[in-house]
Amino acid sequence: MNEFCGQPTTGASVLRMTGIVKTFGGARALDGAALEVGRGSVHGLVGQNGAGKSTLIKILAGLHQPDEGIIEICGTPQDRLTPKLAEALGIHFIHQDRLLPPSFSVGEALFLGDEPVYGGLQLLNRSGMRREAARLLKSYFDLELPDGALIADLTTAEKQIIQITRALIRKPKILVFDEPTAALVRREADILFGLIRRLAGEGVTILYISHYLREIEEICDAVTVLRNGRDVATLSLSDTSAAEIGQLMVAREAGDLFPPRHSAIGTDYLRVRDLALDRKFEPLSFTLRRGEILGLTGLLGSGAKDLMRVLFGLEAATSGEIVIGERKLRFDTPRQAARARIALVPEDRRRHGVALEMTVQENTTLANLGRFLRFGRLDPRAEENATQELIRKLQIKTSGPRALVRSLSGGNQQKVAIAKWLGRDTELYLLDEPTVGVDIGAKAEIYSLIADLAAQGAGIILLSSDLDELIGLADRVLVMFRGRITCELLSSHTTATEILAEATGAPERSRHVG
Amino acid sequence: MSVDAQNYAFVKRRRPKPSAKGRTRLAAAALRYCALLTFLAILVIFSTSAPFFLSIFNIGNILGQTAVTGVLAIGLTVVVIAGGPNVVTGGIDLSLAANMGLSAAVYASLLQMGYGDGSAALSALGTGLIIGAVNALAVAQIGIVPLLATLAVMNVVAGLELVLTENTVIPASSDLLTGLSSGALFGIPSLGYVLIGFSLVMGLIIQNTRFGLRLYAVGEFPEAARAAGIPVKAYVSASFLISGFCGGIAGILNTAYLSGSSTGSGEMLLPVVVTALLGSVFSRRLVPTIGGTLLSALFVGVLLNGFQLLNLSSTLVSGVQGVLILLTVSATTLIRRES
Repeated sequence: MNEFCGQPTTGASVLRMTGIVKTFGGARALDGAALEVGRGSVHGLVGQNGAGKSTLIKILAGLHQPDEGIIEICGTPQDRLTPKLAEALGIHFIHQDRLLPPSFSVGEALFLGDEPVYGGLQLLNRSGMRREAARLLKSYFDLELPDGALIADLTTAEKQIIQITRALIRKPKILVFDEPTAALVRREADILFGLIRRLAGEGVTILYISHYLREIEEICDAVTVLRNGRDVATLSLSDTSAAEIGQLMVAREAGDLFPPRHSAIGTDYLRVRDLALDRKFEPLSFTLRRGEILGLTGLLGSGAKDLMRVLFGLEAATSGEIVIGERKLRFDTPRQAARARIALVPEDRRRHGVALEMTVQENTTLANLGRFLRFGRLDPRAEENATQELIRKLQIKTSGPRALVRSLSGGNQQKVAIAKWLGRDTELYLLDEPTVGVDIGAKAEIYSLIADLAAQGAGIILLSSDLDELIGLADRVLVMFRGRITCELLSSHTTATEILAEATGAPERSRHVG
Repeated sequence: MSVDAQNYAFVKRRRPKPSAKGRTRLAAAALRYCALLTFLAILVIFSTSAPFFLSIFNIGNILGQTAVTGVLAIGLTVVVIAGGPNVVTGGIDLSLAANMGLSAAVYASLLQMGYGDGSAALSALGTGLIIGAVNALAVAQIGIVPLLATLAVMNVVAGLELVLTENTVIPASSDLLTGLSSGALFGIPSLGYVLIGFSLVMGLIIQNTRFGLRLYAVGEFPEAARAAGIPVKAYVSASFLISGFCGGIAGILNTAYLSGSSTGSGEMLLPVVVTALLGSVFSRRLVPTIGGTLLSALFVGVLLNGFQLLNLSSTLVSGVQGVLILLTVSATTLIRRES
């Protein structure tokens, strides 16, 4: 790829965007932002939600036209970038949403748009697609999928891998990753990082957008920080730390991310004894005390996610028991779990956590409409007051109770998903990746909300693949590996490295936990 | 934690599948086999209770009767593939039956006016294509929901047919028509062969070409198609052109079957929609396919035929069709929701 951009020089900037302005309605999404990326570098782009990252990327993709500003690719100004032209220039995108048709086979989804065909009739070469798909997945990711697997059968991480492979087939010159690790566990993310380095080494320029500053620190050569539609800084990572980047993104010390914990941990609240789910996890036991935040983590297929599902009655346990207080409970449906004052805040908030097309008020009061009944009628004023109260308490950034949840940022949508359960005297919160895709400011607020819930005596199980989050927020961390709880770590006495080692099944020394 | 044999077996599982998805897969398979078994059961019931049912003549009769609905349902299937399976917001072409009526009327009138087979047939196909083009314009270019756009076009087309035929039957005969309606090789009328041949050609195009695969992508996930550089509007337009063309072909076939253009083509709409919706039940991935639609066309044809042979009231037939729509739509909806 030495002749890339028609000039054999290295280090020249491949992409230069200057003075980009873009207004939507009255709102200025970009206000003179600039971005310059050197050839073959891994360049990070960070900023809070609403800082203008996605608008900038959509402009680069040709999906939006800027009101003002210059885009130069390989030194050539492009005044009308279309998606087609962007692709022709070798710019490819790994979107946050996995753009793969669910009923397609892996091969079909990989080659869609560039299908291998026989002759003039353009008959699909299905066996060729299948073989080539298997080969590519094996060589790039060491991933083997069952023959004839459909996209709908794949896990989120596997879909992500298919999406990345799709871009690699097209021999990209600039590859844009938009939050690629949001759905990946650490081991998968490591594979991705290795791949990104390999691609950068081969001369592909990488633009990497992420909320995870640790990742930026780990793999990027340089990073551009956006704030309020402007680039506030472009820094070399050799002399910048994640904490400094975080400070640039917000007017907030990164150390403030995790709230101080004041909860007095109380008596045993939840006791899980020999709980098992066939083919997902084998009999496991643990306890959770009132006011305690129990971290839970594990790789894809470790059973951690399935454990959460069983605790909320989404799946019936094969054997074992769940004891709350003195009562043995068995949940076959989420309704039973909710009656036992258990709440689940699911990972995929846009699909399961909130109703996007409903208002903040409707979302927060939906789970407990009974509270607002007066003489059999809903009392709208009581509903509105309760919602105002929640908005204030959780610092939900919204124009009011009547704003559609769709109009909120990811972090605020997540707060609404949690708010839904607050009115119900919930005693056990199951939080599934509560801060995925949430910007750092909203993250801190969600963390302090979780800490508050614990301080009020609720038990919390926090399933997360963000190791810093586990250490910063949880009291204890249970690590699962291949269907077993392999260890229990006190978060005050552990490190991200140790948790990682346990989760990947490579502990430095074996620990025994009942 | 001890590692016993069971644990070991667990560890050896390379890729545990989420069981919700496993269940969905299972439910989909169950639905597919149920549909096939029901089809077989009905064949068995009819052949035991109506001895005439299994005769070559009757099978030929079923194929002939099914040809028109089958071709129309294949056209509708293409629109559903490109527009997505959501009946309200997705792909649907309500104008197909009226299209068939007008194309037949054009064909029969031209023959009566003394034009030759060739020009009359081309005009019929042209009529179908023009109707398809109007739908394409309304849906893909202007952006009207297919349900409404094709409903409006349906009324316009039905009106044109009335103007042309003054609501009368126009008798027609030509070499092509005679060839289509008789020509019984192995006791099966040419109409039956046309249906099979047409399904094979369309199956090849839709199921086995680049065009077909992209059509599925456009319908199922337009964003993904767009990201893959596929011109979504062009593909949606193409699907309406194909369905319009199918309307034209069905017009000629129907003229052959009835020896003239007939009134009341609108009554075809329900069976065509049933056939196209039912079709996805016969496919492995629970998506609309040409093969599935052909199977379901035959299924509906067998039902109709069996009812006639058993002297069951024809009013029962639309009841059964309605129930079939409800059953398939609810089953596929439930399964989709599960996943």
